[in-house]
Order: sequence, then structure tokens, then C-alpha cells
Amino acid sequence: MSLLKIIIFCLALLRTPLFLIISAIALVSFYTADIDISVVIIEMSRLADTPILVSLPLFIFAGVLLSESQAPKRMLHFSQIFLGWLPGGLAVISLFVCAIFTAFTGASGVTIFALGGILLPALLADGYDEKFSMGLITSSGSLGLLFPPSLPLILYGVIAGSRIDHLFLAGILPGLCMLALLAGYAIIKSGPVKKKKRRSTKKDFVEGLKEIGWELPLPFLLIGGIYGGFLVPSEAAAVTALYVLIVEVFIHRDISLSQLFPIMSKSMVLFGGILVILAASMASTNFLIDQEVPTRLFEFIQKYIDSKYSFLLLLNIFLLLVGAMLDIFSALILIVPLILPIAIGYGIDPIHLGIIFLTNLQIGYCTPPVGLNLFLASYRFEKPVTELYKSTLPFLGLLLITLVIITYVPLLSSFLISRFG
Amino acid sequence: MNTVTKNSRQTAPSLVYALPTDMGIFRVVNKVEEILLSLTLMTMILLACSQIFLRTFLSTGLLWADPLLRYLVLWSGLLGAVAATGQGKHIALDVLSRSVPKAFAPWINFSTLVFCSLTSMGLSWAGILFIQGELEYELIGPLSLPVWFWSAIFPVAFCLITVKYLILCFLQLRRIFQMKHLQG
Repeated sequence: MSLLKIIIFCLALLRTPLFLIISAIALVSFYTADIDISVVIIEMSRLADTPILVSLPLFIFAGVLLSESQAPKRMLHFSQIFLGWLPGGLAVISLFVCAIFTAFTGASGVTIFALGGILLPALLADGYDEKFSMGLITSSGSLGLLFPPSLPLILYGVIAGSRIDHLFLAGILPGLCMLALLAGYAIIKSGPVKKKKRRSTKKDFVEGLKEIGWELPLPFLLIGGIYGGFLVPSEAAAVTALYVLIVEVFIHRDISLSQLFPIMSKSMVLFGGILVILAASMASTNFLIDQEVPTRLFEFIQKYIDSKYSFLLLLNIFLLLVGAMLDIFSALILIVPLILPIAIGYGIDPIHLGIIFLTNLQIGYCTPPVGLNLFLASYRFEKPVTELYKSTLPFLGLLLITLVIITYVPLLSSFLISRFG
Repeated sequence: MNTVTKNSRQTAPSLVYALPTDMGIFRVVNKVEEILLSLTLMTMILLACSQIFLRTFLSTGLLWADPLLRYLVLWSGLLGAVAATGQGKHIALDVLSRSVPKAFAPWINFSTLVFCSLTSMGLSWAGILFIQGELEYELIGPLSLPVWFWSAIFPVAFCLITVKYLILCFLQLRRIFQMKHLQG
């Protein structure tokens, strides 16, 4: 049997779909333990008892629709009019726009593809050097994963059974801390303004507002709806999806009705890919818990590490490696069920753990040698990946500093919950 | 993610990852899937929004809507996974395949496809056993339809996935022999 498992493991590295790898392990494990294999499906069907799950396809659809529309261009134009006067203007704008965009689309690849093509030429034209500009876009490609309604936050909530509204609140301050640090660096790097820019006139402001008028209320609608007590997170997802659909298809007419079906189907294919991994891991996790694997793992680790802080350090290193190799959805689904009981054993709050998880996985995206953002950016900008390693390095350093702050100052994650939760 | 797949497909045309979209039958399948997925998604959006509307303005709600919504999520996700199988868009790790010698690559891809077919067959069988169990309880789910009907999406989706993987196996094997023929 262990030979079979080794073969399955090798196949996992050869582009075999992850959900089938996990399912195969679950099927083999239950079969050899003389348990009826229908248990695998019984565990999968338990997903129907998770009310928050419905927010995943709805937010995915809203994100895909937004990224296929002209919304990213409108967002950028609006920010240029209103924030262009800031020192380091365009670099700071890029960071904010990427963060908001990633929060809504949830996947980092989309940001680099949708915004990178507009941002890079704009940054270069504004006098920033190429190395800085590429590093900025590559590392901000996954910035914003900590802000609501980011999909990985919701997925963590689904897996860990944590409250989504609390997770949304918990991510805000750590996310802002990360943004502030990167923005500070961008301002220092940009130095004195090289070109005299045209000041925005009153007319520009009005036109900018008119252009973004329909998309601007979206974050407020979402956050106000949830924390004003009008909507639960899954309902907020439905309202967001319907709102984005009406705005992009019927008001702005960026997406024609004939494009709508393929976009809807594309979002459901993305969701399907995530759901089957989630379903398969329900079965395999059940087997692991049945075999008391997390408990034994905890006892083993406790022999060598007795302090919570050294455990957190080890966790950070481990998650950075995982984040550089796995995509964020499969990393969460596979690792959270194993780590969560151990972290609780060390007295770490599950919500704080979620924020640590996402920060690590986000940084893993731009960690050499295999971080996905690096490859996407190298493909998008047609530059060798080694050049991107160099340009991302200073940003990576800053992100690691925020990781340390987020990990060792739990107050950052819990403060807003204690005030508004 | 998709671009990476596209890229590697361009450099390695000897490997079959997705069903060909230029063949009539697969185009029809794609269209049918597209329509089904869009309809399920639209139903989910409208159902969830009408619940909010009814609750806020009329202080009422549909009792069956929430359970129905939860099953629709499973339906849309599993149907999405069936579509993802044909389009070669499942999440997978691609660590070793680039270092595999070119001559072996088609055979290795063929073996992963065989593994995928076998595992999805196992899942389909588990799904059928599960439904047999459900049939004994005669529980009623949303819209007065039995629970087994709503859960039947598991074996149905896994069977469809199995069929698609078997076709991919066949296409990969055919490609291997075509290449041998060309070389010979």
C-alpha cells in the first residue's frame, strides 16, 4: 500500500489534478482500513451543510466580470485624478489599485495580467526606472488578499469554521500596514518629482467621479451591508454579484450579453476546480483525524518546540515554502486542517492564524525561485525571470518585515474585532 | 494559470491536456455545459437576492430557498469540475514534468490520464454506493424532491469526469501512434 502511495505522490508532481490525488489517497486509505468507500462521498456531501460556501462562486463571478470589464482602467484613471498630487503619486496609486482589485478578484494572476499592462508603461512614462516598476507590480500582484471580500479569506473561514465577518475585520489593519510600508518605500524611491504635472481641474474631478460613480459604492455597499447588520456575508456576495452584473452589462455595457455566458461559465469552471479539491480534502481530512494524525503531529512538535513564538517562526518558514510552491487555494485546503489543531494547542487564535496563513502565502507568490507572480510577470512583461528576482527583492524584504509584525503583534488582527465584531 | 498551460501546450504539442474544441461533438458539449453553468449561477444569484428582498421589504422568506441554494452550489461546482476536466483547467502541480525527457513525456501524460480515469471511476463507484444508501432513507429535500435526487450529482459528475478522462486517454494514445507513424 505504501508503494501505491509513493506512486500517487510522484504522479502529483507530474501535473495530475490535485483533487484526484487527494481522492485517490482517501479511497485507498478507507478501503485498506476496511471502511466502506461511500464514506468519501458522505464526507464530500457535508459541504452542503456549509451555508457560507455559496459566497465563493458568487464572489468569483463578480471578480471575473470586473476583470473582464473596463473597471480596472476606470479605477486607475479615477485614482490618478484624485491622488496624482501625492509624492510618489503613481507608484502609491498602483499599490492601492492593485490591492483593491486583488481583494475583489481574489487571484493574484488576474491583477498582474489586467493591470500590469496598463501600469508598467504608465510608471515608466512617469520617470520610474524599470527595475523598480516591475518589482512593484510583481509584488503588488497579490497585495490585497487580506482585504474583504478576498476569496482566500472566505475559503479559510470555510475550512477552519471561523466567522467570515471577523476574518474580514481581522485582515484590514495588517493589510493597511503592508500597504503603508510599501507606499513609504515607493515615496522614498520616487524622490523629487521629475516632471511638472498638469494639475487636475474641477472638471476632471467631476468627470472622474462620473466615470467611476457606479463602481465606487461597491466596497461601501459590501462592508456597510455586513457590518451594518443588513446582510450576512453570503448575501453580500449575492448582492455584489447582481450589482456588478447590472453595472458592467447593462449600464456601462462593457460586456455584451453574448460575452456573458462564457464569462459565467469561466467563473464556474474556476469555482469547480476549487470545490472538488475542497470536497476531496473533506474526505482525506476525516481519515487523518480518525487516525489522530494532527494530535500525534502536535505531540511530536511539542517535544522539540515549547514556546508559541518559536512555533510561529517555524510556521512562517514552512508556509513561505508552501506558498512558493502551491497555489493559494490548494495550499489552504491541504494545510489548514493539519495546522489548525496544532496552532490552537499552542494557544494561537484561529482568526490570527488565518491572517498569518494568508500573509505567508501571499509573500510566497513572489518568493524566488518558483513564486507564481514572478513567472506571470516574466510572461506578461517578456523579461527573464531572473531579472524579476532582482527587482522584487527590496519589496520582498519589506513584505517580510510586515510578516514579522503581523505574526508577533496579534493585536493588529484582533483590534477591529474587539471594537466592531 | 491558464497562460502557463497555454504556453506549455504550444511548446509540447505531443501532449493532450484538453478535449479539442475544433471537433463538432466537443463544441456541442462545451456549449451545453456553458448554458447549464450559466443558468445555475443565474438561479443562485436571483434566489439569494430575492430572499434578501422578501426579508427586508415583506418580512417573509421562502423556506426551501436556503437548502436549495446549498445544493445548487454543489451542482454548479461539480458541473464546473466536469467542464474543467474537458478544458484541462484543474488545479495541478507542475514540478517535474518540465524535466521529463521529451521522448517519455507523452507516455507519462498517458499514465497520469489513466490514473485520473481510474480514480474518477473509484469516485463514481463510491457515489453510486452512497446513493444506494440514501435511497433506503427516503428523505425529502428542497422542492419536495427526494434527497437522493439532489445528491445524485456526485455520481453523475464523477461518471462524466471518468468518460472525459477515458477520451483524453484515447486521444493521447492516438497522438503517440500518429507521432510514431510520422517518424517511421
